[in-house]
Amino acid sequence: MQRRELQLGIAMIGPWLIGFFVLTLYPFCASFYWSFCDYDLLSEPRWVGLSNYRRLASELASGGPFSRALANTAYYALTSVGLSVVLGIALAVSLTWQVRGRALYRMLCFLPTVVPTVAAAVLWMGLLDPQQGLVNGVLESVGLSSQGWFQSTSAAAWPPAWPGDHAGRILGSKDGLVLMSLWGIGNLLVIYLAALADVPKGLYEAAELDGAGRLRQFRHITLPMLTPVIFFNVVMGLIQSVQAFTQIYLVSDGQGDPAGSTLTLSLHLFLTAFKDLDMGYASAMAWVLFVLVMLITTWLFRTSRHWVI
Amino acid sequence: MTTRKLLTSAILLATLFVLMAIDAADTPQTSNAREEIVFWHFWGGRDRPIVEKIVEQFNASQRQYTVRAIAMPGSNLDLKFFLSVAGGDPPDLLNHDDPIVADWAHRGVLTPLDELATADELKRLDAWLFPAARQLGTYDERLYALCNGLDIRALYCNTTLLAEHGLGLPETTGDLDVIAETIAPSGDAAGRRRMGYLPDPRRLWAWGVVFGGRFANPQARGLAERRSTRRRLLQRSLGWPTTVVVMGLASSRHSVRENKHLRGRRFRCSPTAGTRWSWTGNGACATLPKPSRLTSLQPFLFQLRPAEKNAGWVNGNFFVVPSRARHKQGAWQFMKFWTGFDGHEAEAAAACAAGGWIPASQQVVDQQAYQQALERWPLLKTFVRLASSPDQIPVPSLPVASLYYHEVVQAAQEVLYRGADPATTLQQAAARVRQRLQEVLDEH
Repeated sequence: MQRRELQLGIAMIGPWLIGFFVLTLYPFCASFYWSFCDYDLLSEPRWVGLSNYRRLASELASGGPFSRALANTAYYALTSVGLSVVLGIALAVSLTWQVRGRALYRMLCFLPTVVPTVAAAVLWMGLLDPQQGLVNGVLESVGLSSQGWFQSTSAAAWPPAWPGDHAGRILGSKDGLVLMSLWGIGNLLVIYLAALADVPKGLYEAAELDGAGRLRQFRHITLPMLTPVIFFNVVMGLIQSVQAFTQIYLVSDGQGDPAGSTLTLSLHLFLTAFKDLDMGYASAMAWVLFVLVMLITTWLFRTSRHWVI
Repeated sequence: MTTRKLLTSAILLATLFVLMAIDAADTPQTSNAREEIVFWHFWGGRDRPIVEKIVEQFNASQRQYTVRAIAMPGSNLDLKFFLSVAGGDPPDLLNHDDPIVADWAHRGVLTPLDELATADELKRLDAWLFPAARQLGTYDERLYALCNGLDIRALYCNTTLLAEHGLGLPETTGDLDVIAETIAPSGDAAGRRRMGYLPDPRRLWAWGVVFGGRFANPQARGLAERRSTRRRLLQRSLGWPTTVVVMGLASSRHSVRENKHLRGRRFRCSPTAGTRWSWTGNGACATLPKPSRLTSLQPFLFQLRPAEKNAGWVNGNFFVVPSRARHKQGAWQFMKFWTGFDGHEAEAAAACAAGGWIPASQQVVDQQAYQQALERWPLLKTFVRLASSPDQIPVPSLPVASLYYHEVVQAAQEVLYRGADPATTLQQAAARVRQRLQEVLDEH
């Protein structure tokens, strides 16, 4: 009976197992082997030892495309995850308020999440067009400078490359990508709303009796109680933003344009593998990316005991 | 249902599925037993029906072959092609328009056309093609691709507007920046309201050749020579033009400073806007880039100056046959039919006229259908005349041509968008291209 159950179990998970071995485990192991090879996809891989990793190190040291991709990815990941946490919590808290039409607001906030990535990217390319885009139109109408968005190498965190020409334009292509990522905040919102619903009402009542205002209640009750989901969202958000590809590929003309300002690690990896036919080097890059994500995740887990309740 | 029955059913279903798959793979896909030529292309929009009509006409004219055209998105055509090659199931024919011929030919992915065509056909083809079309398909002095249409650029100017600002015709790429800055100065907080010339990072390719620049040493020929000398020649062909390009880009950055090396011995006509030939349903027009606030611009008055030398950078569409294609002869027959070679000129002329395409051969241009199109759209004549020029130069046919093209564009972007030093940027780009070239030559 036990053996029969085992057979049945294996038969049931068989399709998944085949998919896992063929589509996940094999490419995973193969890419590790290829990272030590010179491989152009069209001929047999040729073992070159650590050459690809040495090349990565030298590119990193000389400020080549890999270092730029790393910097762009870090900028995108940190900014988008940071803003999504802040905006997600703010929206979630405001959506718990007892106001008329709350369900409608919740639906409106979640709606962008169901828009396909490609459609959303095309929409944002139109909205953020420096000349004809709606966003710049609104900025100009309230007396602010129009921004360069996807046609600019500027970034909010760094001064523009051409101060004279930019004339107050500080937001560039990377900031446009961050804005796009915030568009899909609805998924996080659902998690935050669920977490907020789990906060015991008694805590707020006790705080109110102690004379704590709304702000204090948020700081000393809501925020600490949300830390487990914040932690979850940060980890998942970081992994997703490091892997982000589709929208970046679309807005950057598939090349990381302009001037490599949207060249992220995943895009650089793709171009190296399938445009330059340098699969060995791309595999090495993928493994560096994998180790990087692992290290960041481990660090987050280790530090979480200090701030997650 | 018992477990045994469930397992038996699952195994039976799986077996049935596998048998059906094997059967589908073995069954000829055409009912009349003609050989099926799988043709991948990326034509879309208004070109798609024309392509489908060409395929229909070919299929109707054939008893031996039938073409199945599969439209692919151009953005990931390469990826899909490589995966099909790696998987052992490439298409029989592929249409492309990027500088990939040398890269792919060097890696042994492409079938040289001398394996498909007879010696007589090759000889006639050599004379039949425009020089630019021939260059686009040639690597190592062998023809690997058959061009079916050229993409020609021309520079136009609004002489009235230039005169209003006291400007003459540009003689260097730097003069383009002078035009841009004079007509529409930067530094306006609200941004430029009109465009004198729209800088584009790709202009080093597009206009560099027009202003006398070259990206490969024309003397460095003879790639078919022995490999030892070949490597030296390839490297030299990269070294020489870099100097020229560095000067061109320096000139564009420090636009007021003139550069004697790039003075326009070869320039043909003067730009205020880059144009590409395009065709609309009602007639011919030259499309302008969309500058800021187009409505506030004065109308452009196109005035074409007589050409001294019809130099320019050219690319085009071409057919390639993968080395592991199954039906190479069928692919060759279809290529001939589409391009018009070997007696199909009239059909090709009709297709080119319908699409507003520039043919790869004068013999197609000379056909009645195409001549009628030229009468309808006189502006097209200029582009067709340029197409026949031996000074229309494509990206050099090197095994790293794609990278070379991309690096030059990237270097120009670095200078235009980030204010990088032109000479340093190009030297670094050249170093990367040389390094990759060395690696590619060492690999194969």
